[in-house]
Amino acid sequence: MALISESTYTTALDLAAGALLLMAVLAVWRRHLRTLIRLLSLQGAALAAIPIVIGTHTHDLTLVIVGAGVLVLRGGLLPWLVYRMLPGEKPLSDRESFVNVTASLLAVAVLTGLAYAVSRPIVALDPTPATRAAPAAIAVVLTGLFILVTRRRALTQIVGFLVLDNGIAALAFLITAGFPLIVELGASIDVMLAVLILQVLTGRMRVKFGGTDLDQLRQLRD
Amino acid sequence: MSAAALTAVVAVGGVVACLAVLLAPARGRHVLAGALTAALGGIGVALGATVITSGLAPAHLGWLIPLAGVTVAGDATSGLFIVVTGAVAVAVGVYSPGYTRHARQSRASLATVPVFVAAMLLLPLAASVTTFLAAWELMALTSLVLVLTDHRRPETRQAGLTYAVMTQLGFLALVLALATFAAGAHTESFAGMQRAASTLSPGLRAAVFLLSLVGFGSKAGLLPLHAWLARAHPEAPSPVSALLSAAMVNMGIYGMLRVDVALLGPGPRWWGLVLVLVGAATAVYAVLQASVANDLKRLLAFSTSENMGLITVGLGAALLLSAAHNRFAAQVAMTAALLHVANHAAFKTLGFLAAGSVVASTGVRDLDRLGGLARRMPATTVLFGVAALGASALPLGAGFVSEWLLLQGLIHTLPASGVMLALAMPLAVGAVALTAGLGVAAMVKAFGVGFLARPRSDEAANAPEAGASMLAGASIAALACAVLAVAPAILSRTLTHVLTALPATSGQQPPRLGVLLRLPGIAGSLSPALLALALAGAVLVTVVVAGWGSRRRPAPRPAVLWGCGGPALTPRMQYTSSSFAEPLQRVFDDLLRPDTDVDVSHLSESRYLLAKVSYRSVIVDAIEQRVYRPVLRAIAAVADVVRRGHTGSIHVYLAYGALGLLIVLMVAQ
Amino acid sequence: MSGVSAGGVIGAVIQVVLVAAGAPIVVGLTRQARARLEGRAGSGVRQPWRDLRKLLGKQRIRPEGTTIVFAAAPIVLAATTLVIAAIVPGVTTGSPLDRAGDLFSVVGLLLLGTVALALAGLDTGTAFGGMGASRETMIAALAEPAILMAVFGLSIPVHSSNLAAIVGATAHHPAGIATPGAALAAVALGIVILAESGRLPVDNPATHLELTMIHEAMVLEYAGPQLAIVEWASAMRLTVLLTLLVNLFAPFGIAGVRPGALGILVAVLAITAKVVVLAAVLGAGEVFIAKLRLFRVPELLAGSFVLGLLAVTTSYFLTSTGG
Repeated sequence: MALISESTYTTALDLAAGALLLMAVLAVWRRHLRTLIRLLSLQGAALAAIPIVIGTHTHDLTLVIVGAGVLVLRGGLLPWLVYRMLPGEKPLSDRESFVNVTASLLAVAVLTGLAYAVSRPIVALDPTPATRAAPAAIAVVLTGLFILVTRRRALTQIVGFLVLDNGIAALAFLITAGFPLIVELGASIDVMLAVLILQVLTGRMRVKFGGTDLDQLRQLRD
Repeated sequence: MSAAALTAVVAVGGVVACLAVLLAPARGRHVLAGALTAALGGIGVALGATVITSGLAPAHLGWLIPLAGVTVAGDATSGLFIVVTGAVAVAVGVYSPGYTRHARQSRASLATVPVFVAAMLLLPLAASVTTFLAAWELMALTSLVLVLTDHRRPETRQAGLTYAVMTQLGFLALVLALATFAAGAHTESFAGMQRAASTLSPGLRAAVFLLSLVGFGSKAGLLPLHAWLARAHPEAPSPVSALLSAAMVNMGIYGMLRVDVALLGPGPRWWGLVLVLVGAATAVYAVLQASVANDLKRLLAFSTSENMGLITVGLGAALLLSAAHNRFAAQVAMTAALLHVANHAAFKTLGFLAAGSVVASTGVRDLDRLGGLARRMPATTVLFGVAALGASALPLGAGFVSEWLLLQGLIHTLPASGVMLALAMPLAVGAVALTAGLGVAAMVKAFGVGFLARPRSDEAANAPEAGASMLAGASIAALACAVLAVAPAILSRTLTHVLTALPATSGQQPPRLGVLLRLPGIAGSLSPALLALALAGAVLVTVVVAGWGSRRRPAPRPAVLWGCGGPALTPRMQYTSSSFAEPLQRVFDDLLRPDTDVDVSHLSESRYLLAKVSYRSVIVDAIEQRVYRPVLRAIAAVADVVRRGHTGSIHVYLAYGALGLLIVLMVAQ
Repeated sequence: MSGVSAGGVIGAVIQVVLVAAGAPIVVGLTRQARARLEGRAGSGVRQPWRDLRKLLGKQRIRPEGTTIVFAAAPIVLAATTLVIAAIVPGVTTGSPLDRAGDLFSVVGLLLLGTVALALAGLDTGTAFGGMGASRETMIAALAEPAILMAVFGLSIPVHSSNLAAIVGATAHHPAGIATPGAALAAVALGIVILAESGRLPVDNPATHLELTMIHEAMVLEYAGPQLAIVEWASAMRLTVLLTLLVNLFAPFGIAGVRPGALGILVAVLAITAKVVVLAAVLGAGEVFIAKLRLFRVPELLAGSFVLGLLAVTTSYFLTSTGG
């Protein structure tokens, strides 16, 4: 017997996936770096909720533990690492992206539609509440890519990368109903390493160029 | 009279009226032309009403056109469009004597109007490819003559040229489409083609659909073939603009209904999707152009394109929904499209007639130089206000009910209808909503800047009220607007007839447009009449509340306007049409690509003191620039290549001829 | 017409009267909440009513060169708002006007009021009037897609855009509100409602600088009784929109289609409490935000539009595979 009823389970899962997507959209919308990091932390929490909900439903203690780990890592540690890069950043708002806010938002709307469209076969294959929420995760992946493509600053790029990774993790949780603890831990540590390396690179860039506008990297070509 | 007799009367009447105007003495000519046009329109309304109720039995007149003959037949769909055209002609006919007194119209132009009207009245009755194309071309040619009425102005000549090219290209596409269709069906009668349509190969049907969409779309002003509309319609004399914008564009919609929906359909899903996308893009783009347009008639012409886009969205949604077996919503969408044809005709006729009165009284079309007409031309102002209310799709306006139906059709897509609908419908709703919002902005600008506030030029300050015939003609259209806004039920039976006749929407009980609009299968209802009643009651309550304490209150006192304590305000300090639209222009900068110049010159003493600021902003049709230019350049390049063959030597030309003959012989053997 | 009950009619009348009488109090509440948070004593929640009484007793002013449009606009604004107050299910879902107008009509009526005021602004022929009209029209035009998309999202689960149907369904199945679709629609609708009622961060109702005004610039020339009507109508607009928002997502206590006396009483108390809380929250929230630059308002509305679109998409796909 399940701890929570089927409909509550579906609702909770949908809400978690919806929150995940909402944070991604807000990350496209808002331009203040501090807000972006806060959103990242909230998204990590929403991501952590997914395995916890699934785990509670299926009485899978490992999943709940994975969820707790994700919460600590993605809701706390990673955003904190990014947050530490803030002091050297100025200005604190990344208003110079290649696409203006309104157009970015509309693009994200289109990407979400696409995500739903392309994931129809996956959902049809095994229509459980978890897979039904999977399109939201794909939309988050696409949104993360979109942020990576359109933003100029290294720090926002890191945020985009983390959004992308949150999407991938959510997709994995939703479709495979949780992968082994060790895989998740390995992936998370990879991500953390990437963030650390990027942090070092950003620091070097700032020292060299006095800013983190990635457009300046073009000068390296010459 | 029977439908057949009325048809004959319209056909003969058109020719006789043309001759009568040509032979009439100069003094009474414009009155005669107006009276005959109105009479022709009246007969047209009777004909349409007869065709709706009892249809027109198919008839073949072999002697009328050599080889093919003329075939006519009519059903409710034909009848609806005939009634609309006839009603527009009545209003225009009553209006035009007053207008032509102000703006002289040549004899040829006056005599063409009845022929044009007759061609539009007869087109929906055509029942064979030849007859249809003949009527279509007659309509196109007569309208070209009318556009060129004022041919001494270079802008008019330019517009006429654009129109001629576009309309003939559209005609070419139509000839190709219908000839391919007829060849595949081995008959040129519409009845036979309808029977044979399902036997055609999918590729052929797709080709016919796309070609006919180009032909009909160019007439209805759909993207990207819209450019002629906003140029040609404003250049014609205003009564003719009304005929073009309220009646002729409908023929593009009629063509789509007749050929693509009734004869060729039911088609695959992507047909509906193409129509929705083209319609939505047209609506948004045209309304954006309308909201930044500064020429009153050009604004109205863009609004015509916009409304044709909305109608096309309705048609496309009906096809999509019908293909997804969502018949209820399909019917609602089709009802919306058809009702909007009638509504648009009503408010656009009124809009152009009222704008014509303004042009006749002031000679100015530029909104930046109008203003203050409410005091000089109160009746015309009220009439234009009714038109603007209709065009902005607000409650109590003529366009509200049809846009409401359109939205209802779009939002009641069943989730099970598939991915394509689930993605297309929200976007279509967004496009329709943005169109509605920007449409309001455009109409607030046209009415608020053009008619309210203080006059911005001497012409506007001294404008006389329009003459009796003009007011009468416009009032007919205003009456139609009011009736359609509050009681769309009068079209209920007609629409039922049309919906049951079309394959995409037959087989269900259509929406009932009573006092309460009820949509079977959809839990939605609306009552424009009750809303109007409630609003009237609320106005009464508010007036009573506002009068509270009025006995103790002193009499009203005029007051000076607030100018930050500075000297009295001059009319130059008012917001103009350009400044009103500037925020929108800035928001949609990427789409409109305005060419803006701000030139600031400072005083020599200090950089903080300004001597002069000049602002210039030109908005050109971005699509025209981006799409048409390359095409024209490509054509010019091809022409250059061809020109190389033009040596001027007669012997070379003869050699071409001989070569051509040889090729023909070899192919033909 | 079926579905019209005596209780429904009485409920509708009560809710119109409640909105008409309570609107100035709601505005007073937001001001008072704000004042307290800013460390001021505030003028009390009944101050807007005292202002209205004073204004209504004053002499009428006819600004030079204005036409009947200027005089009629406040009446149209107030009348459209009163009709909306009768349609929106505040006290009962059995309003006799519910069949006559749905959520789309409500949006249309709101826009009609806005248009009336914008025309009045243009009619004065001053730079400020035109400026306010131009800005207000831009915001209204861009808010339209956002608000209709939110309406679309709300109408999907119940297959109807009629308010009684939506509110009734939520009242019967409160769990239905805890879906991502409904949550996104709530945020989207909340944002547009701020724009429609001219609150921060879109417009600052307390501004005294003409160049930053939107709504206030349009009504700059109004004085005396006409200004009273404009102020009263704007307050009613805010109240009605708050009622709509709160009852779409939390319709607890609302009376049904055929309510009894007790049901209406409970509903009146419930809606009053809910709107009071929401108004106080609104006033408190405004302490923490600044007005947006005019040309960043489209971003806000685009955000609302996208949230609405996401609400629609999620509702579609979650219901399609579930149902």
